[in-house]
This record gives sequence, structure tokens and C-alpha cells, in this order.
Amino acid sequence: MAKFSKIEELEAYREYLLEKRCTEKKRVRICMTGCRAFGAQEIKDKLIEEIEASGLSKKVEVVPTGCQGFCARAPVMVIDPDDIFYQQVTPSDVKEIVSQTLVKGKLIERLLYKEPLSNKPIPHTADVPFYKEQVKIVLRRCGKIDPTRIDDYLINEGYRGFERIFKEKFSSQRVIDEIKASGLRGRGGAGFPTGLKWQFTKDSSGTPKFIICNADEGDPGAFMDRAILEGDPHSVIEGMLIAGYAIGAREGYVYVRAEYPIAVEHLKVALSQAREYGIIGENILGTGFSFNIRIKQGAGAFVCGEETALIASVEGRRGMPRPRPPFPAQSGLWGKPTCINNVETLANIPYIMLKGAKEFAKLGTRDSKGTKIFALAGKVKNTGLVEVPIGTSLRKVVFDIGGGPPAGRKFKAVQIGGPSGGCVPERYLDLPIDYDSLKKIGAIMGSGGMVVMDDNTCMVDIARFFLEFVQDESCGKCVPCRVGTKRMLEILVRITRGEGKPEDIQLLEELARVVKSASLCGLGQTAPNPVLSTLAYFKDEYRAHVEDKFCPACSCENLFVSPCQNVCPVGIDIPGYIELISQEKFSEALEVIKKRNPFPAICGRVCHHPCELKCRRGEIDEPVAINALKRFVSDYAREKIKPRVHLSTPSKKEKIAIIGSGPAGLTCAHYLARWGYSVTIFEALPATGGMLRVGIPDYRLPKSILEEEIFSSVESLGVSIKTGVKIGKDITFNELFNLGYSCIFIAVGCHVSRKLNIPGEEIKGVLDGVAFLKAINLGQHQKLGSKVVVVGGGNVAIDAARSALRLGTDEVIILYRRSPQEMPAIESEVEAAKHEGVKFHYLATPIKILSSNGKIKGLECVRMRLGGYDESGRRRPVPIPGSEFFLSADSIISAIGQMADTSFLPSSVKKTDWGTIWVNPGTLATSKEGVFAGGDAVSGPATVIEAIASGEKAAISIDRYLKGEPLERLPEVRKKYFELTDLIEVEPSPEKRVKMPCLSLKERKKGFKEIELGLSKEEALKEAKRCLRCDIEKMRGGS
Amino acid sequence: MAEVHLDIDGRKICVEEGVTILEAARKAGIDIPHICYEERFSPSSSCRLCVVEVKGVENLVASCSYPVREGMEVKTNTERVKKARRVVLELLISNHPLDCMTCEKSGDCLLEKYAYELGVSSSRFQGERINYPVITDNPFIERDNTKCILCGRCINVCSDVQQCEVFDFARRGFNTQISTGFDKPLTETNCVFCGNCLSVCPVGALVERERKSKGREWEFKKTTTICPYCGCGCQITLHTKDNKVVKVTSPPDAPVNLGWLCTKGRFGFEFINSSDRLTHPLIKKNGKFKKASWDEALGLVASRLKKIKEKYGADSIAGLSSAKCTNEENYLFQKFMRAVVGTNNVDHCARLCHSSTVAGLARAFGSGAMTNSIGELAKADCILVTGSNTSETHPIVALQIKAAVKNGAYLIVVDPRKIELTQFAHIWLRQRPGTDVALFNGIMHVILQEGLEDTEFIKKRTENFELFKKTVKDYPPEKVEKITGVPARDIIKAARIYAKAEKSSIVYAMGITQHTTGTDNVLTLANLAMLCGKVGKESCGVNPLRGQNNVQGACDMGALPNVYPGYQSVEDESIRGKFEKSWGVCLPVKPGLTVVEMIHAIEENKIRAMYIMGENSALSDPNATRTREALKKLDLLVVQDIFLSETAELASIVLPAACFAEKEGTFTNTERRVQKLHKALNPPGEAKADWEIICNLSQKMGYPMQYEHPAQIMKEIALLTPIYGGITYSRLGKEGLQWPCPDPSHHGTRYLHREKFTRGKGRFHSIDYKPPVELPDEEYPLILSTGRVLFHFHTGTMTRRVKGISQIYPEGMVEINPQDANFLDISEGEIVKVISRRGKVKAKVKITDKSPPGVVFMTFHFVESLANILTIDALDPVAKIPEFKVCAVKIEKLQG
Repeated sequence: MAKFSKIEELEAYREYLLEKRCTEKKRVRICMTGCRAFGAQEIKDKLIEEIEASGLSKKVEVVPTGCQGFCARAPVMVIDPDDIFYQQVTPSDVKEIVSQTLVKGKLIERLLYKEPLSNKPIPHTADVPFYKEQVKIVLRRCGKIDPTRIDDYLINEGYRGFERIFKEKFSSQRVIDEIKASGLRGRGGAGFPTGLKWQFTKDSSGTPKFIICNADEGDPGAFMDRAILEGDPHSVIEGMLIAGYAIGAREGYVYVRAEYPIAVEHLKVALSQAREYGIIGENILGTGFSFNIRIKQGAGAFVCGEETALIASVEGRRGMPRPRPPFPAQSGLWGKPTCINNVETLANIPYIMLKGAKEFAKLGTRDSKGTKIFALAGKVKNTGLVEVPIGTSLRKVVFDIGGGPPAGRKFKAVQIGGPSGGCVPERYLDLPIDYDSLKKIGAIMGSGGMVVMDDNTCMVDIARFFLEFVQDESCGKCVPCRVGTKRMLEILVRITRGEGKPEDIQLLEELARVVKSASLCGLGQTAPNPVLSTLAYFKDEYRAHVEDKFCPACSCENLFVSPCQNVCPVGIDIPGYIELISQEKFSEALEVIKKRNPFPAICGRVCHHPCELKCRRGEIDEPVAINALKRFVSDYAREKIKPRVHLSTPSKKEKIAIIGSGPAGLTCAHYLARWGYSVTIFEALPATGGMLRVGIPDYRLPKSILEEEIFSSVESLGVSIKTGVKIGKDITFNELFNLGYSCIFIAVGCHVSRKLNIPGEEIKGVLDGVAFLKAINLGQHQKLGSKVVVVGGGNVAIDAARSALRLGTDEVIILYRRSPQEMPAIESEVEAAKHEGVKFHYLATPIKILSSNGKIKGLECVRMRLGGYDESGRRRPVPIPGSEFFLSADSIISAIGQMADTSFLPSSVKKTDWGTIWVNPGTLATSKEGVFAGGDAVSGPATVIEAIASGEKAAISIDRYLKGEPLERLPEVRKKYFELTDLIEVEPSPEKRVKMPCLSLKERKKGFKEIELGLSKEEALKEAKRCLRCDIEKMRGGS
Repeated sequence: MAEVHLDIDGRKICVEEGVTILEAARKAGIDIPHICYEERFSPSSSCRLCVVEVKGVENLVASCSYPVREGMEVKTNTERVKKARRVVLELLISNHPLDCMTCEKSGDCLLEKYAYELGVSSSRFQGERINYPVITDNPFIERDNTKCILCGRCINVCSDVQQCEVFDFARRGFNTQISTGFDKPLTETNCVFCGNCLSVCPVGALVERERKSKGREWEFKKTTTICPYCGCGCQITLHTKDNKVVKVTSPPDAPVNLGWLCTKGRFGFEFINSSDRLTHPLIKKNGKFKKASWDEALGLVASRLKKIKEKYGADSIAGLSSAKCTNEENYLFQKFMRAVVGTNNVDHCARLCHSSTVAGLARAFGSGAMTNSIGELAKADCILVTGSNTSETHPIVALQIKAAVKNGAYLIVVDPRKIELTQFAHIWLRQRPGTDVALFNGIMHVILQEGLEDTEFIKKRTENFELFKKTVKDYPPEKVEKITGVPARDIIKAARIYAKAEKSSIVYAMGITQHTTGTDNVLTLANLAMLCGKVGKESCGVNPLRGQNNVQGACDMGALPNVYPGYQSVEDESIRGKFEKSWGVCLPVKPGLTVVEMIHAIEENKIRAMYIMGENSALSDPNATRTREALKKLDLLVVQDIFLSETAELASIVLPAACFAEKEGTFTNTERRVQKLHKALNPPGEAKADWEIICNLSQKMGYPMQYEHPAQIMKEIALLTPIYGGITYSRLGKEGLQWPCPDPSHHGTRYLHREKFTRGKGRFHSIDYKPPVELPDEEYPLILSTGRVLFHFHTGTMTRRVKGISQIYPEGMVEINPQDANFLDISEGEIVKVISRRGKVKAKVKITDKSPPGVVFMTFHFVESLANILTIDALDPVAKIPEFKVCAVKIEKLQG
């Protein structure tokens, strides 16, 4: 090919190429860059072979392309012009692709992408949500063209932006003005307006001037620059040419890391082709403009992404930053004015020059125009490269395009901007992503790395991880970055190891702020971002690590043995008892459970089992049915072993009063009695158990089980329970001390329903959820009519709805003001309710109860939408004006929350603003000496197991108090209670999770019979063998 | 420069545009703490202690590098700033051994200072601490990276100032440390051991090895005086304790060297406290020296001198003064020779180095000294260095040259040897030794041909141009290429660069002067400067670099056979009359003999006695065997020195002298700067200052010289020497004064010939090329060139007594080009015989392309391999300087 010496010649050549292009040919595009690691080369070779063998060579063309973006599905291929998208293709699929799809035009279903919920195949790229929601400007050719062929670039609008400058006789200033008008900002991270940067460089005195393309992509996880260079290198060259013309440079460098061999190779090929065509070099296309580009390979230091360090590296010195000003635009490479632009920035330039600033500026926000490419990685289904208009919400990127976290996991945060970026929590999911909005919440756009984290990600550990990275990559020049990040890292390591000191969090924060404000370059100035942002949004996690030596995400190795045990509020050695079950040592298993939980039969039925959410088996298929196993052991023991109950009497003289016989009170009594104290429980209701008895319907927890366990775990130990005694009415609170009680534990629970506060609430037939359940549980049956509306989304609402069904109503509707995601009720309970026929009405709230003649007619409701985030981290429901509607009902049960009745307490026992009792969270001591409080009365409505945990905590505090020991104690890491002596390495069973046998729907409607029937011995043994025994690994590793 | 107005801590300040916040604050009297910043080199902004708040800037900024802007509002001491500084110090301390009680730096440590000032005594940040072994891989500098705070000062000095780039940061993150490339020992890098790195180390990471355990910072007596080595005239501060020098530093505001030193200046002081020092007068009896009293020794000298004078006449006595002694001592010495002995036979080693400069520049300009000042070099646009291995012989001048190059100046190096500066040169002309006249005539030919000459200057300020022009016409580049071996295109290129630059300066030394055509060479350079009008202007000129600390002063003081102090001719009656009147005696009319002539006169029995003060002629003079024999032949040889030198060993009477550190006086450096010495130590034993000895001797000779202090001598000098007319001790402050300084109100002269040349008009000379006297032939096929190396000085009497220097550079070597070595089948490190028509020496071989093919190089530092046994004593007809730079030799293998 001879050099083109005129613009017209190049244009004519492009025309010729376009004419020559054969449109009938099928084109099979295979990603030959990122997908190479997944065997794309072999697929391509086989494909060519097979096409030749089938005689299709003239009809089908195989096009090796750059990244097509959907890396989670690598290797990917697209067959044009039909736009058939095949994913996770293997070499063994090739034959079929040729014979079926290419020859017969048939789709191969197993290679198609499937819609995750419906599992419906989606044959065309354009319909795959991952692609559908994107807007590709920069990546519009990437994955479409063969990057090693300049002709492919030319026919796809290549070099037309550059041509336009000369065809329309743009002065260099006019080019700059165009870029300025486009609103393009630097895609390297800081978002400096590109046009302005060009202007500064142009206006700087000193010659020669240089353009440097910064392709030193250092953020772990980010690879858009690599993808552009690999997939569309000419776009960067064209961008540099335009920039060179605009600022008056004759020479450009591409500083690319040597770890990008394909990018370097493609760039080299592209440069030599451009040179061959006369598009770079002397007197380009006869325009008089000369420009050359050289490649400088960097050794891959993160800091070399910083402009001044990059310049030092190009000059052959150690890549270390220097103070700015002077900025490179004034004094850059060899001390000359230098414009440094990122790859993605430059790749935007040809589009702007071709389509015009106005067209470009149609996308984006007011202050940030165009699109941005994100590298979506981490705990998200659809990892890959995503290009969206600036201002797109994180939710759209993470959920709509990314598909959200993997099944069963909960989104927690997203780290944006790589190690220099920040963690963005759920509450900002609807934030439009742009430079300024991200900065405001402590993150940065950075190069566009986006790492999604779920509930298994420990935010302290993540901060530690990024700090380790920046500390390793710190050039060591300035003190805050060199020593400061090291000290930050050390604090974080300490915290994640459970060795954090109380002052560490504050020290860390203080240090982070100094490092941020006093470091020399961007690396140091942004290094604390992951720490500061996690401190801002996840400080509780830090506190848990430091104060409780607890890692809620079950990530920090030193802080737990197994995840299930770690998240169990009472810390049962779960793998221990599962192991014993698998060995058929059921009573031993029960002993292991009872070491931490006096109520296994109750919990085996009603526990919300956070252990199962964290079960590692869940990441493979489904979690081990831990709770069912616990129930099995307790049932088995009760039925088959019938352990003898030993009655005992107090050995110590101190008397303790416990107010309330719910799980917290009972647990506290259990422990205190075991330790020899004389304990009396005062219960206002006529029966024991608190919410266990009056809040939880029989179909979940039969009374017999409850009573039996209260007897065996509490009463048999000599605890006296006085039912029907209401403190404040029958005895005053202060009188308890006069009666000789040295300590009081308040565990009165939350038994008072919150009011709806709407007109009509006072009408008969508007029931209070707690009272409704209480009445049922105390045997007072009530008439509801045929249609019941339950208002609320918590456990009480669900229990009320399901109970209502059992009372013979025809229709039960739950009205909840937010969406299913925000619903606080236990998910399995919600599922069971749905299964039984309860209807759910989301995003609506009652505004008025309508009645006639004292009889309820129904509710006037209004629809809601979700607005911004509130304090709880949930999105606030906002009424939609004009969306009012009517819902008929015979009865209305209000279950929008409960409060504690603390009216009996003297003022010396302080309360919180929420109406709960104030306690020291570490000791449960109230503001009054000798008085402790726990359970729902302190925490607000919570779970049984948390109440049990709180009861135990109170018992320990009371014991220490009575012994005269300091109440505060050092937290400890949970240990195994069951020592493993003979470890037999057993492969976990591959079986699926056992299904809990349940009562049929028909049977259920008949009354309040227990639904879950419990596991058989065989089922239990099978299930126990599914446990992966992560504890063993940890014990071994740890010892 | 435009002015910028800003507000610092509420104070309105007006400063020049381009200054930093820190500088502006300093101007306003606001002190901002800083560790890495040093005003003498570019800031690295790494310590972050100098951070301040600037309104509108989100982060704190490092004030040491942040330029001021119009309307800027700066706060230097807010809570946020203070907190950041404290945290920075805490971070530093968290990784710094707090062993101040044993740290050599304590008392002079910046970390200690700021920790004290900000009250940071411990760190809340506990964690890993680095712990590296102390690096002691060289004799001078100890590096303890455990104490290093990575401020980067040593790196910046080495790359910015010294431009050796020995150090850089290595590794990353917390493990970053400063090291040499690949952690090589310093002795294997291109480190020149200037120690400037340790001079700027703010903590105890870099310390002088020799100073260890010799005292705490606050125990030292600090005396700032002048370096005794080369002619740069660096100020040094001697840190002494118990009459011993512990270490040497230099004040950062020293006028010549800005606090920078070379290896000799910083580490070459061990000789002062050497046990070899002469402590008593010695009288040779039966070939052996015996201790004598001053009275006895001086009595003997006086009586014998008187006798010889009586018997053979005053002109049978000759004296060599010393370029190492003070102006006052040189003045007294020549006064002694002229007024007391009655002869003009007084000379000194300037004869061997720059007599051709004195002669040549006097003829062309009227004054034989550096026309400009060292400090002006850095601001030149073009520097032409010829016949000067500046980096080794005048290291501090070399710093200025390198700084100029860094500032964008062109550097032209004209030298047969591949000296260090060639690495910095834009163009290097490698002429054959001794072809300088041809080469510069060639350059001037090009300038004239291309019309690049300064016609205006030539017309107004010079004379004899036409004749000169005619001569130069005969030197077209092509012809010059044949003579010199320098490609014609390079000659043209160099001519254009030199002529076109606005400020071009010529720097030269003995590569120009030590030839039988030495005076011609100097005149040619003068021609070049005048041709382009590059003289009498700032940062231009013709600048001979003088070799010894006070060689300029010794010449100024008339320690020359033909002139009185201030270059006043002995043949001028009125001048002689002035001196006769002042000194109260009749003075000899005829100029005396020069150094080599004296030796030759001994052979002819014309000289019977010599009085040598502080010179080592036995090694320093050409054709050493002949010199030695001659000295032995004398009836009386009196040597006054600090050591029993090779010359002193030949003496009949030896008088022990005090060294520079033990006395007061003045030195005049190469740029004519007169600076004061300050006494730091007492002399050993009975040694006395040279001026005292002369006074005492004079007394014994019947001519009382009564001076209480050198200041009184200077008073007399000023009275009799117009160029020193305004110089008094009280006026010589920190900066000294540059002559001419004719009267007490004159501030001295930075550069000469401003309005007019000293002689009126500058005179062009028409000079033709003449080849050296002894050229290689079949028998002696190689050219020997001689000179100095960085680590040693002169005849090695001082430097060879410095342990460290002797370790680094222990013996004399003959440098030979690989091509010649290959041809002669000799290998690196082999001992060979180097033979000339005058003698032979053994030397170790160093194979290097520093020497061009056909040329070998040796030094005169080592008596064991003394180059001057080989050198020729052929003289320049005018200046009587020997041709040290060219003689013919052959090399033989030892066994052969």
C-alpha cells in the first residue's frame, strides 16, 4: 500500500472499501483478547478448520475482535448479521455451531444466554440485558472490528474525525473549542476538563510540546484502557493526532504497561499501518501537519499512572511523582509543555470531532458529558466491561446490567475507583454516577473500576486489602504515604486479627485524614479513601471487630472458627454438633447445643437461623439445614432418650428478680440458677414464655414444646416463676429491692403495638396485631369476617395473617408500604405465608379506615414509591399523589411495630429516644445500679435467639456484679466447645439439601397444628453429612 | 520579574513572582518547619512538614515548592496544619531509632529539632520498624539507613549539584530506601566522595566515618577558614576538639562554594594532625638530621647565607616561595629575598603552572588572572573548557559548569582526554596534544568566514586585529583537521556555538599553559574571546583556573623574579624607587631567575644556595632526576615546610612550619578573591607560622621585620600594591574582596576589563601553530601527558597522609588506551616500565579510553612512579614554563 498523500485519497479508499464489502457474508466475531484465557484461540482455529471443511469459506468470515464486554460469559462469540450471541463456548461446540447455526440457521439453545429468573433463552445480543442497557460510544467498535486491520477501522468511521479538521479547515483553537464545548472530562479519574488541559498546553511557552497517552492502567480490576488498545487501537491514535494538532505537538508517547502484551502488539501493528498509510509521520496526508507516536513500555508500577511519575518514567528515571505546580502542561516531559490524556479520553476524541460537540454532549449530566466505561467485577453476576452515559445510577449498572450479587447474597457496597476510590453503600445505589457526586460521598470515579461486594465481604478487611495494595505501590517518597499508609495498614491488620485497641478507630481516622490532605501526589491523597469511606458507612463493622472481636461478614480468619458459629448470636458450635449427628451421637450433639442455648427445641423451630445464611455450603448449592438438625436432635432426644430432669435448688444466698418470662428472661434465669443463684421471674401474663407463647402461633411452636423446655431448662433448676404478677401494678418496681432482691433483670419485651395514626383506627374490628396473636395463643378465639387486611411487613404481620387464615377467613391481604426487598419479616415465613395463600400488596399504605354503622368497610390507601434512604439504610416510601385506592376489608389488623411498656420503671432507669431501655451495650447494665435489662425491651422487636443471647449476657453481668467484679469484660473469639479428637477426613455428601416435611395445605387450614414435621433420623444423618466442615480447615490452619 | 501580593497569616506580603510560599513566608519573618527542603537545590517536597493551608485549595500544600499567586491567602499555623505536622513527625519517629544519646548527629539533627519544637516525644503509631545494617563500604561515608528518613536530600544533591546520580530511591512502600544502583558499594559507583550528601543529611543517616565517637556536636570548636587544596578558595569549617580536627563542613553561604566541597576539602584534613609533622628545626650533620633550637637553626641559616652572599654575590642565592603560603608570607618572602638577601631570584611553582597565563593575558589584556568570577559560570550560555579536567582539579568550578549545562548552557570541551565533563558536553573536540593553537585558529577562521565576529567590539576595544586576521586566514577547518585530528564539521559547529551564544566563557588550565607554546596558547584564547566580544562582560571572559590555593596570591605578592607585588616591574625605576623607599634598602635592578632556570644555574655553579619555603621541587619540577642532582649540589639548601618532604630530605637545614589551620593570613583564590584564614589549632611542637620564621630570620640577618599580626603585613601590602590598595583585614568579611580593589571604598571587582582593558586596548596577537618540542618517534612512540587526579594533590605530601584517600587511590598509575595496551600486550593492573629519554619509572597500568590512542597519562603525586622523572624541561621562551603536557615515552613490560 502506498502512502496517501491527500485527504481525498484516503476518503476515496474508504469508499472503495465500503463498496467492496460483502454484506451477504456471515461474520463470526470472537473475542481474541480477554477470552483468550478461556480458550478462544482454540475455538477460533477449530472454527476456521470446520468452516473450510464444510466449504463455507466464501460465505462465512471469522473475525477476531477485541473485548466484547461480557467477560463473565467468556468465551463469547457473535454471529452477524443475525446477531446471535453464544456464550461460554467450548471447542467441542464448534462442530455444532457450524453445522446447525451457520449451515441451517438453527440456534443452539445451551449456548444462549438465559434470563436468570425465567431461564428463558435470549438469542440476540441486542436483547441481553447486559448489552441492552449500555450505550456504547467509546467501545462502539470494540468487539466488532478486527483491531489488527486498519481497513476495518476505516470503514467504521475511522480517521473521519481527523479528516474533518482539514476538510473544514479547523484552526487548532477551533479544535480545542470543540473539545471544550463537548464537556469531555479526563477519564483517568480526576475528571479535569480535557479541552482546558489542551488549552493550557497550547498556551504554554516552550517547544517542542508533547502528547502522552496514559495507558498505565493500574487499578486492579480495571481493564477498559487495555480493552480499547487491544480492540480499537486506531481510535487512540486518531485521538492523539487530533490532540497533537490542537496543542501544537509533533510527537506523542503511549505509556503502556508491559503487562499488556496484546495491547502493545495491537498498538504496534496499528502504528505501522497508520505510518504505512501516511496517517502518521511527516506531512500527514499532505496537510503539512506532522506527528509521530512512540510506545514506551512501563514496568507496571501503580504510581506511574500519576502524571509526573509517568513523565519521570518516560524520561528513564524512577517513576516518582514531583510536586505540582508546575503542571505538565507547563513543564512536563523533558521540561516541555506536555499534555497527558488517558486512553479512554483520547478514544472519545474522534467521535467528538466527527459528530460534533453538541451530539456528544447529549449524553451525560450537566457537568459531565458522554459515557464512562466501568469494569464490573466482584460479587456480581455479569462481570465485564460496561459503558453507560455518565449519570447512570449505580443500581442500573450493578443490578440491571450486572445482574446483582450472586443468588442468596445481599448487596453490601461497591468500591468505585480502585484502591484510590471509596466504598459506596447501598443507600447511594440510586446516585447518578459522575465525578462530582462520587467525590461528595467519599469515592472517586477513578479509572472506572467497580468492585461489587456482598454480605460476605468484610469492610474492614476490604479496607485492609486496598491499603496493602497502596502501601506496596507507594513510591516511598513522602512521609504520609510511605509511613502513614503503613501505619494505617498495621492498624487495620490489627483490627482484622481481633487485636484492635479501643483507640484504634479514632487513630485510624485521624491518620487517614492527614495522609489524605498532606500527601505529595494523588496516590497518597486518595489512598485513605477506602478507609475513610468504610469508616463513614460501616463504622459498626469496625466497632464489632474492635469491641466484640467479631467479624459479621465471617471473613477475618482470626475472629471465628466457622461462619455459622460466628454469626450465631449465642455462638453454638454448629459444626461440632453436626459432626456428632453424622456420627449418630445425638445426645452428645444436644449437649453441645445446650452449652450455648438452653432452648434447642424452641429455637429448632422458630430461630431465624442466620447461621444458614453464612453457611459456606450455600455458595455451592444450598446451605446445610442447620436449624432443622437442631430441632431433630432435641426432638430425638426428647422422644427417644427421654433424659431425666434433675431438680436442683439454689446454693447461693443472693436473690435475683427477673421481670418477664420471655426468652431473654428465661435464659437469664437459666444461667443464674445454674450458677446457684436464687431466681424469681415475675410474669404479667397468666402464662410463661412471653412472646414465645403469645406472639408465636402454635403452628410454628406448639405449646407443649414450649412448656416442656421451660420446665426442663428453667423451672427444674429451682427458678420460681410468678405468673399474673405485673410489676408496677401488683408490686412496684422499687419494692423489689425491699423484698430482698439484690439484682433486677428487666426483660419485658415489646408487647404494645404502634398505632396507625389514621382516621378510623378506633373502630371496632381494627385489631392490634400483638393483641390479636395474644388472644389466639391464650385461647380466646375471635371472629374476623371473610376478608382481612393486615398492615405491616414484620413477623407479627405475617404471623397474624397466617393465623387469620387458620381462623377461617377467605382472603388475607398484607399491605406493606415498601417493596419486598425492604420487608423485615423472616423470608421463609413470608414464603410460607404466600404458599398458604396470603396475598401481598406492596408499596401502599392506608390513609383512612372507612366504616359504616360501626362496621368496617375497608381502607382508603395510597400507593407509594421509594425515595431516598433513611437512617435505617432503607429507602424511604413516599406517597404518590393521586394514587389513592380503596381496599375492602371486614377486619383490619395493624402490625406496624411494637414498643415496650416501660411505664412501670422509675425515672432512674433511663430510656432511649426510641422508648426502649437504655443500657450499656457491653454489660446490659441500666442507668440504675443493680438493674439490668435485655431482650426486645432494649433492642426493640428482634429475634428469639438474640433475646437468648441477651439473657445470657445479662446473667454474666449480674454474676460479675454480685461477685463485685468489674462488669466490663474483654470480648473473646468464639471457640469450639466440642474438641475434635479423631478427625476423619470425610468428603461432604454431594446430596441436595433435605426438604423439611410439612403439613399439607389442607391440613394447615384446619387449625394450628405444627406445620413442620421434623426430619427423620435418616434425613438428619444425610443432611449432617453435607456439612463442609470449614471449622476443621480453620482449626488445622490455626493450630 | 513581576510582583505578587499575598496574605500570609494575615500579613500582606509582596514578593517576586515565582518564589515559593516558604520563601515568601521567610521573607516576612514567618518560619515554616521543613526537613527535605534546602534552598541550594530543587525541592523534593517529600517530608510534608512544611505544609500550609491555601485558601481555595482542598488539600494542604507543601510550601517549599508551591509558587505564590496574586491574591493568595495562606495560613501557616492553623490547627489542621499543626496536626498534620505533628502526625508527620509521629510517623517519622515511629520508624526512627530514638538513640539520640549516642547518635553523632544529635545537636545538629533536624528531626530532633522539630520534635523538640513541636513537642513530639513519642508516637502513637507503633508498628514495624526498619532495621538495616550500617553500610561501611568506603572509607569516608557511613550510611545508616535505619536512621534515614528518606527526605531525598542526598539524592537531590548528588543529581542536582554534583550530578553524579549515585543514589536513588529503591524498593517501594514502607521498604523504600535510598541506595546505589543494585546496592553496589560506593567504591564501585561513580561516587567522587565529595561528601556533599552527608553535608545535607538532616539526620544521622549519613555521617563521616572518621568523626565517629570523637565528640558531640556541641563540644566542637568551629572555625571557618579557607581550604588548603586547589585554587577554588572554598570556605571550610574545621570542627576541632582537643587540638584535633574531627570533621570538616562548609557554610552554605560560602561565596565560592556555597557550602559544597570536594573529597579533598572535606576528607583531606588528616595530614594536619599527622605524626609526620615537623615539630622542631633540624640541622643535617654527617648526612643525618639532628633536632636544633630555633635560635641555633636560624643563626646557622643567617650566617651561611651571609657568607655565600659575601663570597658569590647576592645573585648566587635563590628562593622559592610557596603557593600554599599566605599572601602575607609570600610578600615577606619576596621582600626577604629582595631587601635582605638582595636578589630578584625569587620564584615559585606558578612558574610551572600558569606563568604562561600571567605572561599571555598580561600581553593581551594587561592583567594575568581570571577575568570573571566562578559564580558567573552557572549563568553562561556557552562554556568552552579546554585543557582543564575541571571535575578532578577544580571540582567546585565543575559544579558551576554542570549547573550551567543543567540551566541550558552549551558546553564545548576541547581536550585530548575523555574527562568527566565530556559526558556533559554538547560537543567534544579531541585534539592531538599540543595542537591547540591550530585548533583555535581554525575555530576563529570559521567565525571570521561566517561573519560571526563582534566587529563593534573589535573596533572599539582592540588593536592589531588585521595582522591577526591574516594569520588566521591560513587555518581553514580542513587543514586544521589534519593537524589536530578534530573533524572539520565539529570545528565549525563549535565555532558557531561559541560565537552565537550571548554569554560565552572560556575556562582553561594547564592543558593550555604547560607547553613550550604555553604563552601562544593563552594568547590564542584571548584572541578568540576578543574576536567575539566575549570579554569584559558578565559570564564571559577568559578564565584560567589556578591550581593551588594561593598561587594567585603568590603571584600577586610578587613571588616572581621580574615583578614586585601587584605585577609592578622590577625594571621600572619609579616603582623600584617606591619599594626602596618603603623597605629602606637598595634593590637589585635585574630580573631574577625562574624555577627551572635556577636548577640549570646550579649546574653552572651560578646558584650556590637556595631557600625553599613550602615547595617540593624534587617531585614537582620537570626532569626530576636532573633537579634532584642539582639540589644536592648546592652549598646550602634551607627548606621550610610542614613535612620532611623529598626536597626537605636534601636540605642542610629544615625549618618546621605551621599549616593553614594553625595560622592567620589571607589566600587569594583563582577568581582574585582575597579571603581570610582563621586559626583553628595550635601548631605542633615548636613549629611556627612561615611569616614568623621569615621575620625571625630577617632579624638574624640584620634586617628587623616587626609585625605582630599578618594584618599589619597586609597594611604594608595595600600601601605598596595598587590592586590590593583597598584591602584591609577589617574589610574582609565573610565574602572577602576581589581585586582590583584600589581603595578602601572600592567593593572589589567581579569581572575585569569592563569598560576598558587593564592595558587600555585589548591586543590581538598573530600566532602560528608550532609543534611541541619532543614528539613521538619510532623509539619513543607514545606521548606522555601529566596532570592531577581528583583524590590527590600536587606531590601528595598532604593527601597521601589521609588514610581514606590512600585507600581509594593508593598508587600512581599510567593510563593507557585499550588499543595501545592491546598492541603492547599489557593488561590492567600490570606493572610496566615507562621510559623517556630522561629516565624510567615503574607504574601500574590502568587501561582506559580516557586516554586517546598514542597518549599515556601519569600524575606527579607519587614519588614511587614519578612522572616528572620522564618529563622534559624544555621551556616556553616567554614564560619559561616547562612542557609537562607533551614528551615522548615508550612502555615496556617489566620482564622484557
